[in-house]
Amino acid sequence: MFTNTLFLLSAALTLGGAIAVVYSHNLMHACLYLLASLFGVAGLYAVIGADFLAATQLVVYAGGVVILMLFAIMLTGGTGNKINRYGLEKVASMGNKKTYFFAGFAAIITSLILLKIIAGVLRAQPAKVLEANEATVNKLGTLLATDHILAFEISSVLLLGALIGAAVISRPRKEKHD
Amino acid sequence: MNSTVVTYLSQSKEFTNTVAWLSNALGFDATSLVAFVIFAIASLIVVGALATIGGLGTYAERKISADLQMRQGPNRVGPYGILQFLADGVKMILKEDLIPAQADRFTFILAPFLCMIGVFATLAVVPFSSGLMLADINVGVFYLVGMASLVGVGVFLGGYSSNSKWSMLGGMRGASQIISYEIPATITIVSIVLIAGGLSFKTLIGGQGGLPHEWFLLHNPFAFIGFFVYFIAALAETNRAPFDLPEAESELVSGYHTEYSGMRFGLFALAEYIEVFVVCGVAVALFLGGYKVPFDLGTGHIFTEKLGLDSMLSQNIGQLLELGSFFTKTLALYYVVIWVRWTLPRLRVDQLMTLCWKYLTPIALFNLLGIAVWMYAFDGKSIYSLIFNSAVTAAGHH
Repeated sequence: MFTNTLFLLSAALTLGGAIAVVYSHNLMHACLYLLASLFGVAGLYAVIGADFLAATQLVVYAGGVVILMLFAIMLTGGTGNKINRYGLEKVASMGNKKTYFFAGFAAIITSLILLKIIAGVLRAQPAKVLEANEATVNKLGTLLATDHILAFEISSVLLLGALIGAAVISRPRKEKHD
Repeated sequence: MNSTVVTYLSQSKEFTNTVAWLSNALGFDATSLVAFVIFAIASLIVVGALATIGGLGTYAERKISADLQMRQGPNRVGPYGILQFLADGVKMILKEDLIPAQADRFTFILAPFLCMIGVFATLAVVPFSSGLMLADINVGVFYLVGMASLVGVGVFLGGYSSNSKWSMLGGMRGASQIISYEIPATITIVSIVLIAGGLSFKTLIGGQGGLPHEWFLLHNPFAFIGFFVYFIAALAETNRAPFDLPEAESELVSGYHTEYSGMRFGLFALAEYIEVFVVCGVAVALFLGGYKVPFDLGTGHIFTEKLGLDSMLSQNIGQLLELGSFFTKTLALYYVVIWVRWTLPRLRVDQLMTLCWKYLTPIALFNLLGIAVWMYAFDGKSIYSLIFNSAVTAAGHH
């Protein structure tokens, strides 16, 4: 009952947010709808019992990515009028009613075909029952530090490289003394 | 649902009686219904109490600042002016709700609510006592950090949507400050998690005791430094002086909420004061023993054994003692926060960033490493127990 309610709310938030992102004309508003959608995804993770993943989703996306996107939009002036000084549209148009209709129709047909293909696989596996409030943090930590240590280290080196690269790029150029 | 309030109250006889009576009357098992009602009431109480604390925070701020500057402070409304915050609330609600014509309406309206949501969502895991904690989730601290970051979004959007240069600068400063200072604060939290061996507040507080030598603050030298790193970072995250650059009134009028009036401004202010309480509560839970009462009085066993009281009654007395312990420590830290604000001058923006990136972050990383080495080398024992044990062995060999 509780889980179902939470699932329905999260799913509605995710889908509603995602649709609003696509339909809003203001980039800043789109970013906010994206925040709502990401919160919905965190709720979905919470529903399937992945508490650590849900909290990570909140920390990484709500705290980091969305604020950085807002900064980027603000600094690049993406919210202004969409027509530049030559009278051209800066943002390519997303289509009209006709294209929306056909794209939606095609999406429905494709998804039905895909569903038909994977239906056999889905039926073959019995639905798993969730164990309530199982702690995932300990298992995740153990796995990350033992079995997946290589992937963990490689990703941390990649992030360190990105950090140093950003510092080098944004550094003021030195004047040559000669 | 894994709620501590419900688990605690379900031990009592009244709970069983109510469930049995309702199950008879309604014709189905009413356990979850009663649990839900208890949870809802507890949530309402916590939110109401914390809103009152936020309101009283504004009063305390003015009274303490008046005390530090040898003034009277508010003294007209109620005894010692204690009802001043209610008068302010009424004033805020009755004021005209202005939205600038050039503002981005949707974002302008949303921003104060994002701040409020971010702060109130963190209340779900704040450990008031071992019985009164709305939810004890496995990733408690992590959840709190994630939810608190919504405040940054609210501050930034408030500054952006007002379409005013002062607000814009304030919002920019606020957001950059919040995301910068999250780094040392989170690394320090991680180092404490390393000592306790868990992310939930029950585990974090369970590793400590009621007396100061059992607190994580005095567990080892690195944790002692970590407390100050966390406290400074928390001050900056809540935009409190000496880090109140986002609302620096001498240069930015009042920063990101310049254009806000009436209750919308009130929501920003209330969110700030409640957030200060929450971060003080987290500091208490992580470093100062949380709700633990000395000599294990919090469990209430001693009242049952020595005084022969009913076990539920003695547990309730224990809970009250724990609440007292938590609130005493937290409000003492709250006092320090206000004291710091009215003592230190404001930093410059470059000093702010230097402090965060060149001092606090390296110190926090060093602390993390130091604590990891300490836990490995000394088998997780605190410095007190090491000294005590060596003294005992020295005395034994005598």
